[in-house]
Amino acid sequence: MTSMSREQRVSAVFVQVADSLIDDFDLIEFLQQLCGHCVTLLDVSAAGILLANERETLHTVAASDETTEMLELFALQHDQGPCLECYRLGTARIDIDLGDEAAVSAWPGFAAQARRSGLRTSHVFPLRLRDRAVGALNLFHHGAQNLTAQDASLAQALADVATIALLQQRDIGQEQLEKAQLQYALTSRITIEQAKGILAERWNSTPDDAFHALRAYARAHQLRISDCARRVIDRTLDTGDIPRPSSA
Amino acid sequence: MVSAGMTEMLRLLHGEPGRLPDGCAAVLGVDHLVVSLAVDGQVTEQLWSSGHVGSTFEDLQFTLGEGPGTDALRTGRMILVHDMAEVAADRWPALLPAVAHLPVRAVFCLPLVLGGITVGVLTAVRSAAGPMTGRETDDAVALVSGLTLQFLGADGVQADSWVGAPLDGGLHREVVHQATGMLSVQLGTSLAQALLRLRAYAYSHDRSIIDAAEDIVSRRLRLDEGDPGPDPDPPEETEG
Repeated sequence: MTSMSREQRVSAVFVQVADSLIDDFDLIEFLQQLCGHCVTLLDVSAAGILLANERETLHTVAASDETTEMLELFALQHDQGPCLECYRLGTARIDIDLGDEAAVSAWPGFAAQARRSGLRTSHVFPLRLRDRAVGALNLFHHGAQNLTAQDASLAQALADVATIALLQQRDIGQEQLEKAQLQYALTSRITIEQAKGILAERWNSTPDDAFHALRAYARAHQLRISDCARRVIDRTLDTGDIPRPSSA
Repeated sequence: MVSAGMTEMLRLLHGEPGRLPDGCAAVLGVDHLVVSLAVDGQVTEQLWSSGHVGSTFEDLQFTLGEGPGTDALRTGRMILVHDMAEVAADRWPALLPAVAHLPVRAVFCLPLVLGGITVGVLTAVRSAAGPMTGRETDDAVALVSGLTLQFLGADGVQADSWVGAPLDGGLHREVVHQATGMLSVQLGTSLAQALLRLRAYAYSHDRSIIDAAEDIVSRRLRLDEGDPGPDPDPPEETEG
């Protein structure tokens, strides 16, 4: 990809995205790949996608970096942070300096944790559905960063793609189905965390390593990672068949 | 967003566990509600119903072994049927003729799940066809979250945490679900029992469930040695 121009890389990503949306795609895997695309196309350090539940609290569904540290940072935005603000206002905000006094006083716990993780800048984009937001795309950078207008609109386009994928249908319109699909995405995420724990204990590995092994297995067998996680839990998938992580 | 009406229903439910408060069906815009418990994806018991139409529908689908409730339990997804009259005959070939005489056009089955833990299903039926509104769907999701936590024994001790404040204290943290998975292997129990043990440990040691979960995931704490907890389960062989 290095020899490609930026425009070529962007269009390659959108072609890949359109291809993945056909058929019975793996939502969690798709959103993780989308987070990965954000990191490479927008030159950020990490990306995550958060969804609101029926009580309007945010939960992580996918991240470019599935380490416990990053997941914790997204989880903290359950009740504070730029994602929650973006979700509530339904508007994007870029170039947020997390060391800035305004950020520290608005989100003390979140800003402190972000700095401990070596993150300096955050950008947030709403997952828009009609006149409201259903979640947010959160980008982080280790240094100071100013997104160009072009990058900001690309990030919003990627956030819109995430919304389309979440709703899994071309003709959006029935609120009941939209909510059912968002709810299922949140449930799938919990299933994956439970399966990570089961595998980590069996293999004496970290949950992060267990996740990578499970994902590699799902990819190699063209299965959905959330289905694999369910099958680990109900024991219909023999975990002996999954290659163990190398560190275990 | 959860309505004020449902918030009140959840408050009443917390005060009197095991039965749905009067008025719940009206808040959801349906005629009848049924709550059934399930183990391993199979309904074991109809716990509560608001009337014979709902309970008859529920009995028929679980006797015949097919229907939206069975599908909800199998897939972990909500099954939303706007009009039973429009359902293809081969989708539930035994159920459809059996329920044709009931005043049931719309059926909504919501599984009571926490990730891979399934504890039951809420069935809502309405004599008029059509979907739930967005607000009714939010309310229904809030109701099944409340019921799920209640059945998991995870419905906190303070009534305050039930109303207004997030219902799912700790459950938004990945580490709690990871620890639940690890514990289920260590203790040879189901995920539901593992979560209960984690909560019992946190409660009896006056620690937050998140702190306890972090210790388990980082292997500073095991619950199968030293500290048997309030309800020790015999270790079983686990596969893998």
